Amino acid sequence: MSLTYLKEAVEAGDTEKLIRYVRLHFGDGNEEAGRKEIDKAWVEALKPLLDVPPTDRAFVLKTLEERDVATLAHLYFHLHFYFVKRSGEWIHDGEL
Amino acid sequence: MTENSDDITELRPGLWDTVNDRYPGSMITKADLIPLAKAAKPLSASRLTFVSTSGVQRRGTMPFDTVHPVGDYTFRRVPSDSKPGDLEIHQLKYPTVGAKRDLNVIFPIERLRDLVNEGFIGGLTDNFYTFIGYNMDAERLERTLAEDIAAAVEAEKPDVVLLAPA
Repeated sequence: MSLTYLKEAVEAGDTEKLIRYVRLHFGDGNEEAGRKEIDKAWVEALKPLLDVPPTDRAFVLKTLEERDVATLAHLYFHLHFYFVKRSGEWIHDGEL
Repeated sequence: MTENSDDITELRPGLWDTVNDRYPGSMITKADLIPLAKAAKPLSASRLTFVSTSGVQRRGTMPFDTVHPVGDYTFRRVPSDSKPGDLEIHQLKYPTVGAKRDLNVIFPIERLRDLVNEGFIGGLTDNFYTFIGYNMDAERLERTLAEDIAAAVEAEKPDVVLLAPA
């Protein structure tokens, strides 16, 4: 999708077009696959927290406080692929 | 065209319709066409450079950004005397299994050197140029990445440029 197309969607509040773009990215052009990939990443993010292990929450809060929103958004996309890879089920042709 | 060309089945029927459907607005349409330049001298007397969308880069350099939703608009210089073991691939959208066995299938750096040694090509520039093909902002691609690569290539003064998608 062109940037114009996406920015028009933002202007119009057309979130369906935006989330479709994300699903297509995560699913390598297959929207349904992308939807499953998003679910997979969240499941993988949930698993390590079930036993409530100690986490570096100070780091998390400091990062959220100090970093700009674009960097955090970029990190969010990185985290998606991190957890997908961690799941051991890799649908992509190539690698990160 | 062969006599039976009508019988050939298109491997991906309606491919472009599919692309448009999946990625509306992503197709690049240009009214102006810049024709390819004619070679000024024979290949055997020409210095060649190579521009590739393979995502191949030197180990230890910043990996191409394969996760960014809008793409990566940077390029890497790959020394043309690199050994395949000095290089790695960061590319999400094409199968890399074959290339990991033999990098030359996607980035024929050794084959190009062979062709120089055989006298088929006059020589190679010091660097080749790589980027990744997942760039969803066609305007930015043309305005920044393409211009940046063109400037870098021009500075090496090649006689011919081999362009290869991955």
